[in-house]
Amino acid sequence: MIRLRSVSKEYERRTILDALDLQVDAGEFVFLTGPSGAGKTTLLRMLYAAERPTEGEVWVAGRRIDEMVRTRLPLLRRKIGVIFQDFKLLRRKTVLENITFVLRIHGVAPREAHRRAMKVLRRLGLQHRQAAFPDALSGGEQQRVAIARALAYQPRLILADEPTGNLDADLASELLSLLCDINYQGATVLVATHDHAILESIPARTLVLHQGQIHYDGMWPP
Amino acid sequence: MAAVIRHAIAEGLIVLRERAAISVILALALAVPIALAGVGLTLHHWLGPVADLSGQKSSVAVLLHPQMESGERRRWIAELATDHPDWTISQVSSSELAERLQRWFPYLEDLMDSGDATLPPLIEIFTDNPDSVTELEDRPEVLAVGPRSSIQQTLGRVARRLALIVGVLSFVLFAVAGLLAAVWVHLELYRHADEVIIMRLVGATEGTIRGPFLVAVAIPGVVAGALSVVGSLVTVSGLSKLASTLGMAAMSIPLGILVLQLAIGVFLPLLAAVVTLARHSTDATEN
Repeated sequence: MIRLRSVSKEYERRTILDALDLQVDAGEFVFLTGPSGAGKTTLLRMLYAAERPTEGEVWVAGRRIDEMVRTRLPLLRRKIGVIFQDFKLLRRKTVLENITFVLRIHGVAPREAHRRAMKVLRRLGLQHRQAAFPDALSGGEQQRVAIARALAYQPRLILADEPTGNLDADLASELLSLLCDINYQGATVLVATHDHAILESIPARTLVLHQGQIHYDGMWPP
Repeated sequence: MAAVIRHAIAEGLIVLRERAAISVILALALAVPIALAGVGLTLHHWLGPVADLSGQKSSVAVLLHPQMESGERRRWIAELATDHPDWTISQVSSSELAERLQRWFPYLEDLMDSGDATLPPLIEIFTDNPDSVTELEDRPEVLAVGPRSSIQQTLGRVARRLALIVGVLSFVLFAVAGLLAAVWVHLELYRHADEVIIMRLVGATEGTIRGPFLVAVAIPGVVAGALSVVGSLVTVSGLSKLASTLGMAAMSIPLGILVLQLAIGVFLPLLAAVVTLARHSTDATEN
């Protein structure tokens, strides 16, 4: 599902990722961890083609995306559900519209989009907030809306950047079990986090990123 | 495709609602030059048959002897063309002559009712040297040679200047309206930059992203086209009344010009929006 070959990324002569090699197979559940500034977010951004590497090859879902032309990116991104660290919700749309909007972009008919959005909102306990605007929600609720949006179109790959950062322990655990469910259904899940409690809650492959390189690749704790 | 169109209309209407004042200004800014151009084209169309609008050469009307047979007339005109290669000779058909007479002298309706056949054959000679045509006055085939500085040419000169003024004014106003549409789209693009970035990240195509902006300028364009049609109909009606008081034929806007006005109303702001989006949508929303 994901393959990186000698991927490097530099910003203003500072190396963020250094000749990284990585392979994640379809259906895997992988944690990506490391200290702040280790390159976790940069790596995730490369996987949904928001960044291009300075060197190396990035392959996602069988396609080389570091050379992909801009017009083909939408089709790739429709296969990926991204849970952004800063949520990236549409401020002028309600919770329900934030989700149906994405489904409609993906060509889902309005009635079906509404049905699917309500289903995922119920699953995340947000059905009572469907008419609220993002600014009226707490950080945790916004986080859950962002998660609901990423899950609504049943992507093959889910990339989550600190998805539990704004959630309390119960909600964080609930979210992880949700991601596990989706993983059992066949989706590949890559979760970037620096929260060790989360890493220990599920036995899964863990990648430790440090100074732009993978220092550890295996089950957690080591 | 249907989903993209539905999305574009829904989101475009939201942009319009949020920016109602500027949409009205854009519609009015577009309607004025379109109406002006429509009236200008109508005047050109109306004056065309009676005034020399080409402005390249002077034209002199020559009335031929009515008893000349058509074959004989054709031969004589061919000889004339051979003898005077610097002249451009055109035959005015009896129907066109009738139309001109009707436009200038509508009160001669009774004469026209008796049919085109009663009208004498007329030719027009276009030349840089209109005095040279006077030599035809002595020819037996010629009944009369028209004035060398006719009202037609005076009218043509006035019409040409008027057309130039209307043309330049319309062009400037069109440019201003186009610029207004482009600047508006540019500002809206930056205002919605965050949304556009999110749309890109969740897999929206460029068509989905740009569609709402196109709808947002196309709707004021449709309104502008309709307003310009009403404006030009009112103006031409006023001019027509003025022409009637001078004893001239009534004026009306050809259907083609009305359709053209509606088309320009939609096309011009769309063109401005398409160019602006093509140039700026990626700078404004890198990702």
